[in-house]
Amino acid sequence: MKTTHDSINEKQTDRPQRDRTYWRSFEDLNDTPEFNQALQTEFMSSPIRAEAAKEGDNDKWARREFIKLMGASVALTTAAGCIRRPVQKIVPYVRQPEEVTLGVSNWYTSSYFDGQEHLGLLIKSREGRPVHIQGNPSNPLNKGGVSSRAQASLLSLYDPERLQAPKRNLLNEKRTNRETVAVSWEDLDSKVAGELQKGNSYILSGNITSPATQAVINDFGQGFGTKHVVWEPLGNDDVAEGQRVSYGEAVVPSYRFDKAETIVSIDADFLGTWISPVAFTKQFSSARKNPATMNRLYSFDSTYSLTGSNADVRFRIKPSQQLTVVMGLVNAVIKSGKATGVSDAARSLAAKYANAAQDLGIAPEKFQKVATDLLNGPSLVVAGGLATRTEASLQLQIAVNLLNSLLGNDGKTVIGNAGSSRLKASYADMLNLIERMKSGAVTTLIIYRSNPMYALSGAAGFAEALKKVPTVVYIGDQMNETALHAHYVATDNHALETWGDVEYAAGVYGVHQPLIRTMYDTRSFQLSLMTWAYMSKKGPQRLQTYETFYDYLRAFWKEEMAGKVAKGRDFETLWNDLLQNGSVGEVATSGSARSFKADALSKISGKQNSSSLELVLYPTVQIGDGSLANIGWLQELPDTVTKIVWDNYASVSLKTAERLHLKEGDVVTLTVNGQKAELPTHIQPGLHDEVVAVAVGYGRTAAGKVGNGVGVDAYKLAGVQNGEVVFAGSAAELTKTGKFIQLVTTQGHDSMEGRQLVVQATNKDYKENKEANIHRHHTWSIWSGHQYNGHKWGMAIDLNSCTGCSACMTACQSENNIHVVGKKYVFQGREMHWIRIDRYYTGDVENAETVFQPVTCQHCDNAPCETVCPVAATSHSEEGLNDMVYNRCVGTRYCSNNCPYKVRRFNWFNYAKLIEKPMHMALNPEVGVRTRGVMEKCTFCVQRIKEGKNKAKVEGRPLKDGDVKTACEVACPADAIAFGDLNDENSRVAKVFKAEPRAYALLEEWHARPSIRYMSKIRNNDQVTPPKHGHHGEAPKNEPAHQEGGHS
Amino acid sequence: MSQMKRNPLVLGNKTLKDVTDDICAPLERFPSKGWMGLFLAAKTLFLFYIATIAIVIATGIGLLGVNHPVAWGTMIITFVFWIGIGHAGTLISAILFLFRQRWRTSVARTAEAMTVFAVMTAGIFPLIHTGRPWLDFWLFPYPNQRGPLWVNFRSPLLWDVFAVSTYATVSTVFWFVGLIPDFATIKDRATNKIRRTIYGALSLGWRGTAKNWSHYEMVYLILAGLSTPLVLSVHTIVSFDFAVSNLPGWHATIFPPYFVAGAIFSGFAMVITLFTLVRIGWPEFKNYVTLDHMEVMNKIIMMTGLMVGYAYGSEFLIAWYSGNDYERYVFMNRAMGPYAWSYWIMICCNVVIPQLFWFKKFRRSIPVMFVVSIFVNIGMWFERFVITVTSLHRDFLPSNWGQYAWSIYDTCILVGSFGMFLTIFLLYLRVFPAISIAEIKPVLHVGKDEEGGH
Repeated sequence: MKTTHDSINEKQTDRPQRDRTYWRSFEDLNDTPEFNQALQTEFMSSPIRAEAAKEGDNDKWARREFIKLMGASVALTTAAGCIRRPVQKIVPYVRQPEEVTLGVSNWYTSSYFDGQEHLGLLIKSREGRPVHIQGNPSNPLNKGGVSSRAQASLLSLYDPERLQAPKRNLLNEKRTNRETVAVSWEDLDSKVAGELQKGNSYILSGNITSPATQAVINDFGQGFGTKHVVWEPLGNDDVAEGQRVSYGEAVVPSYRFDKAETIVSIDADFLGTWISPVAFTKQFSSARKNPATMNRLYSFDSTYSLTGSNADVRFRIKPSQQLTVVMGLVNAVIKSGKATGVSDAARSLAAKYANAAQDLGIAPEKFQKVATDLLNGPSLVVAGGLATRTEASLQLQIAVNLLNSLLGNDGKTVIGNAGSSRLKASYADMLNLIERMKSGAVTTLIIYRSNPMYALSGAAGFAEALKKVPTVVYIGDQMNETALHAHYVATDNHALETWGDVEYAAGVYGVHQPLIRTMYDTRSFQLSLMTWAYMSKKGPQRLQTYETFYDYLRAFWKEEMAGKVAKGRDFETLWNDLLQNGSVGEVATSGSARSFKADALSKISGKQNSSSLELVLYPTVQIGDGSLANIGWLQELPDTVTKIVWDNYASVSLKTAERLHLKEGDVVTLTVNGQKAELPTHIQPGLHDEVVAVAVGYGRTAAGKVGNGVGVDAYKLAGVQNGEVVFAGSAAELTKTGKFIQLVTTQGHDSMEGRQLVVQATNKDYKENKEANIHRHHTWSIWSGHQYNGHKWGMAIDLNSCTGCSACMTACQSENNIHVVGKKYVFQGREMHWIRIDRYYTGDVENAETVFQPVTCQHCDNAPCETVCPVAATSHSEEGLNDMVYNRCVGTRYCSNNCPYKVRRFNWFNYAKLIEKPMHMALNPEVGVRTRGVMEKCTFCVQRIKEGKNKAKVEGRPLKDGDVKTACEVACPADAIAFGDLNDENSRVAKVFKAEPRAYALLEEWHARPSIRYMSKIRNNDQVTPPKHGHHGEAPKNEPAHQEGGHS
Repeated sequence: MSQMKRNPLVLGNKTLKDVTDDICAPLERFPSKGWMGLFLAAKTLFLFYIATIAIVIATGIGLLGVNHPVAWGTMIITFVFWIGIGHAGTLISAILFLFRQRWRTSVARTAEAMTVFAVMTAGIFPLIHTGRPWLDFWLFPYPNQRGPLWVNFRSPLLWDVFAVSTYATVSTVFWFVGLIPDFATIKDRATNKIRRTIYGALSLGWRGTAKNWSHYEMVYLILAGLSTPLVLSVHTIVSFDFAVSNLPGWHATIFPPYFVAGAIFSGFAMVITLFTLVRIGWPEFKNYVTLDHMEVMNKIIMMTGLMVGYAYGSEFLIAWYSGNDYERYVFMNRAMGPYAWSYWIMICCNVVIPQLFWFKKFRRSIPVMFVVSIFVNIGMWFERFVITVTSLHRDFLPSNWGQYAWSIYDTCILVGSFGMFLTIFLLYLRVFPAISIAEIKPVLHVGKDEEGGH
């Protein structure tokens, strides 16, 4: 090998002999050896070279070599600095896709399914990554509304703990996980395909509402003889089974809450967690927009559900009274003589419940009023959800169906044929499968995303049964409780990476579009099945032919679906229309009344077993069945009613707490069905005294860093009786342990203290005076105020529509990059939500009513925050916005102190630094991420205002009302929020500000002149509010406000 | 005109030389073990304080208990506390000077030093309580290239910046000017060159000529005149931080006089605390700071204590009289809510305990006045706690209500600030004449008869 020095010498010898025509010195002319020596070392200024010269010609760098190398390395470093390291498979746009403009967001239709509810979505994509999820306004069901969970599912795409490649679990003899190792798809496929040859294979999945996926499963079953078992922890098999027994067909019917004038809900939390809460909220609130003709909701509530909170009249019951409620109403309806098609059997059965009101402890005239209202017009009676899954749940469903049939609701507000027949989840099938697993009849079990190791009661014996299955394949994207016990984990794509389709309701279909290429080495469930079929050469041709599920899906739609829905369009047009609109088909708005089967009544055996303390398990709005437990947004979303975050708890009434000497946070041992759980106590106003309510979905052990160990697993408290899993009504025992767990809530106080915050009136008050209970203050100022010559933004929030579902909070969190701080810091009062929903209890503590109030920055004209900031970091915009200049903020927090609404949030720590990759991809690039020490707050989605204005400008037209919609407004399933320009006379907000009698400003007398108007809540309960004697009492309008007070 | 017989202001029949010797003694001898012990303890606490501040700045202000809704906490409370402490010094040296209260000469120097050090200690807090302390210079209106972007002159916090910095400047200058003749004395007595050079430089070339004295007296008088309105204005403006906001419990017109009275109250209490200690450490000072001095100051404590007591009562009356629900609630909540303990500590320490000074025996008892002064200091810290925390923690919307999340860092910051103050104060006692030599000499004869005896 040549040394560097050699090569220098070579170069020198290669040089031509020097010309002597011009010489610089005598030495040069004479060409003395000294001169040549000097010439060689002339540029030896480099110490390296000098060193080399001293030591002789060793392997040292010469100056030029050094400079050359240095230059190269600098060039390399520069290049390395310029080019992003390829951490992901990214390909630069060689030719920029037509639809992608850097800095401009694209919106794609897609869908979300959580096991019960379908939502049509519009997903915002920036530079190829989804950053925000909204409801699709053209979807016939959710009509733009969206749930918190659907929006938060975005974060699960970027969850750092999502599985990134197929895995293999090395299980020990006890079949617990010893080690998880990587496996190649080839190895996994050949192994699984081999196992499948042995037959006796089963697929366990949740509800499959995708026709094409169902087709893949069916095709697969055809090839391998695989049987498909459908199970959901929160399935509605009780409803479907009740329908089957009552009318003949197992279906989850379509309900029309918008068409009912009177709605009675027996523990069916249709506004929160039951079947399709977003669509139901849309329907329900649409019938309450006009307080003069609004519907009436009666709730018989054994938890304090969101539906109960929104009820006009709420009765607290315990689970064992549910049947009595319905049969009591049946009896009252039959006795009225107005019911249609009353059979003798029904009459005699109902007669047993003549004393229902007394049994329930409800005043008979109040109970009778429910029945009278039901008979008065179109009505709807619903019961369901975990709280009704008692041992008598089938009886309850039959009784509800009977009542609806007697009232003539079937076919009008309960439409059987418009419901979904794809919600097939069944606990009975699941228990049946477990039996077969135990007997060794299951050779291969493919589990698609279900998590029975967590969500199934221990009494069902799934864990033991699973040990008897020789090969377990889990297909999902998290190493959850069940995946840990699978031999192979065929890692699934995230929903946002997968093609699919969906049947929203009977006859309403949609295509589910992926928003991003698979981020990791994952493969969709459908393609896994197709691959195994291809390798084994089994199943119909189409299962083996297509290389991707997308091809299968297109072929399936072309062959099987196009005929049903195309309506004359050719397939490509249909496909494009589908992708653009998100759905095709109409929801059936009416159906025919089905005949109630007489023999169904024989199933109603009688009263339920009751006990002095009954357990109720219920899902919460934020966590649902617990599968999204690893999402911080959801854990930090306060419970809609209790406002507690990051925990579940045993709710008891005040009386029960006093009886057992329990205080908030005291840990109790809850013993039910032989199972024990230690939970902190929460004292819930308005809860039945003989009820202890616990939320499911908590206590995950393998959800991930965020979700692990939050709360206690309550699924295990469910019992198995007579082949049914029982979630409610079981006798419970509470013993105090002496331990304490701090329950953390975002709301410090539950009472309004007589202040005019949420104005509430009844329908009778409203009839008398549309401004009922609003105390108007006489305010004046020596200053004429700001002038707004262009736009003046404002918001109107209808408290009569708002159900408190909290979807707006998640929307805001996603849109505005709001950080999650964790339980410890929420306890210290450091939560960051820009919009919050205040919940106040009113009335007596035994039977408390609830009101909700979304509170965000009020963008006051006389903003108290603006005057006190010493560096002018918060200032008033020309359009009435209260701007927050993060860069200028020094963080004195004076603005927060001076804000009467306390809507400002401070970055106490450098939260942005804690965003773990790839979570940063979920950040909205249009909104800055705030640094430590800076105040932040609602901006009225100023980035959306800009976008809307720009769009109007580009299109050369004035801005229309509705062009700019804030994130909270868009998400709201109840359409409670309207945003717009107050200087535009025809805008919705301007009308509210000027003409709406129910509108009032929060803390009007403080004269901050907020840009938000609330509209009073009307409770349709036929009561009259007694006049108050306080400062904020109902004052005669001509009495000047400043003369009042001082007599409270 | 018969002159009223007065107690002598200086005891012990001191000659002029005795005065100089006595006052210079602590500077010219090796420090005692007691001083060394105290200094080491204070210095350790000071270093600990610096470390705490460094951690808070590095990690975030969230380490303290400030939160939503209580966005101001220990730092602002302790800031107002120390600013208040600072008031007695200027009051004694400027206002009492203008009123020709000659007893002030013995205590003025140290009281004024206390003022300067307390303002220094206080001045740290507004700087470190912000979310981004490295940008604090934005609070000053300096020419810049951002528009230029000016500060918000409507913000009381900005007024505060001006008020406190002006006060700090003027009181430091006033204090230093008073020290000039004494520095010259020390220079003249100096036995080594370093000492002579340093004190010579500090004495700004003082020669003790009649012209020197004439200029000196005039400057001192002018500075006293300048300082006098500052005594009232600084705490008035500090009170504006609260009074100009619209928070019930803060938004009160009584705040300026109430804050000034409270400041003098706490300042004198601190003077008493410090002088009882100085008298123990340097027994020769007992002849200069006599029980008569202490008694006069105790009278002021009692009087200002009654004034703050009146303010506490009047706040309740006005809250009731206003008919304003929020205002009423805040005051009921102060006395009966979750922070009632702090309110009653404040009432006990500030209103009840100083009533002991109705009795001459207690006014002249060193142990009693020491204990009372400590209680007053505690009470005045709690007064600011009550104002800041109880007003914020339950304001308009009950959904916002919360508690202050007191943490270990709050404790460290509060305790550490005493480390800073005591370190500087102990150093001062060692290197500066703690009593004005030049001013004490003219009052040697007060209360003495013609013959020089009693």
